[in-house]
Amino acid sequence: MSAPNTATSPVDPALMQEVAQHIVAALNLDLPAEDIDPDAPLYGEGLGLDSIDILEIALVLSKHYGLQLRSDDANNHVIFRSLRDLAAYVGEKRTR
Amino acid sequence: MTQAIRAPLSAQVAGIGVLGPGLADWAQARAVLRDEQAYAAQPCVLPVPQILPPAERRRATAVIKLTLASGLEAVAAAGLKAAELATVFTSSGGDGRNCHEICAALASSDRLISPTRFHNSVHNAASGYWGIATGAMAPSAVLCAFDASFAAGLLDAMVQAAATSAPVLLLAYDTDYPEPLRQVRPIPDNFAVALALSPTAGGLARLAIDPAALFTAEPATCMDDAALEALRLAIPAARALPLLRALALGTPGRLVLDHLPGEQLALELSPC
Repeated sequence: MSAPNTATSPVDPALMQEVAQHIVAALNLDLPAEDIDPDAPLYGEGLGLDSIDILEIALVLSKHYGLQLRSDDANNHVIFRSLRDLAAYVGEKRTR
Repeated sequence: MTQAIRAPLSAQVAGIGVLGPGLADWAQARAVLRDEQAYAAQPCVLPVPQILPPAERRRATAVIKLTLASGLEAVAAAGLKAAELATVFTSSGGDGRNCHEICAALASSDRLISPTRFHNSVHNAASGYWGIATGAMAPSAVLCAFDASFAAGLLDAMVQAAATSAPVLLLAYDTDYPEPLRQVRPIPDNFAVALALSPTAGGLARLAIDPAALFTAEPATCMDDAALEALRLAIPAARALPLLRALALGTPGRLVLDHLPGEQLALELSPC
């Protein structure tokens, strides 16, 4: 299994914006997608999301990009660390 | 040995909350029911529940918004503390829109269900959000009795208030069903009524039920106004309207509320 991208990896800005839009829509967030700090933590502090939100994001991205995001993945703390990390994972694993 | 209960079961209505189509709160409902204001059937407007923490507020469905708005209105009117109040939630069915979304996901190719939808699908979701919003740790019952749900909830809340000698908040509510569910369950809009019931004197009126003659085969008390009668029949929680009218007018006397066919709930109202 390849190591997930880190905050220093290059990520397609358009894809990152698209993922941000999915997050805002799926969670009914009261902020524009472009206001999500790509490097702020998604969980807890930062965007202030909780475990149900993370599951919701996993579901929406799995459906849209045809990839597997499993609740028992040992790398979840890295995959979901920030918008940038999540978009990098999507870019790497997407099948559509 | 079972001994027949002879004393009437009674409770004082200490506070009222209402939210429904064309009825923004109890003040407006009271004016309409007293014929001081014409009833204008407008779609029910659900307020954003600012009392909830941000994450729960984002996930709040119509059921949550309805119960928080009407319940908090009744509690404030009664001068009670929501955090200390036992609650009885009663609804004729599930959350129709949430159920529709889950059915649509199950009918799709991947069958993956939104965790938020799943979390909101339980029948006690309204009670759970109420507890988060108010910090209430008191007992909470959640009932469902199809079209008999308001009367069943009122009976349960009155028994609890008498048995515990403590106030109880009754929250009766129904939300609309989207198509295609609406074809089999044609609930057209949202409606909620909340009654803060107290076992001690004071409040707007005393409700009494005779335990020896709880039920009657008499038809339910109807609304004179055609639009309000249509509302009473269209949304199960609105079966409370004849009681609300008697409370608004301060009319003493007997009321029959829709419950089960041949077993309607009979009660006496005495204004304070």
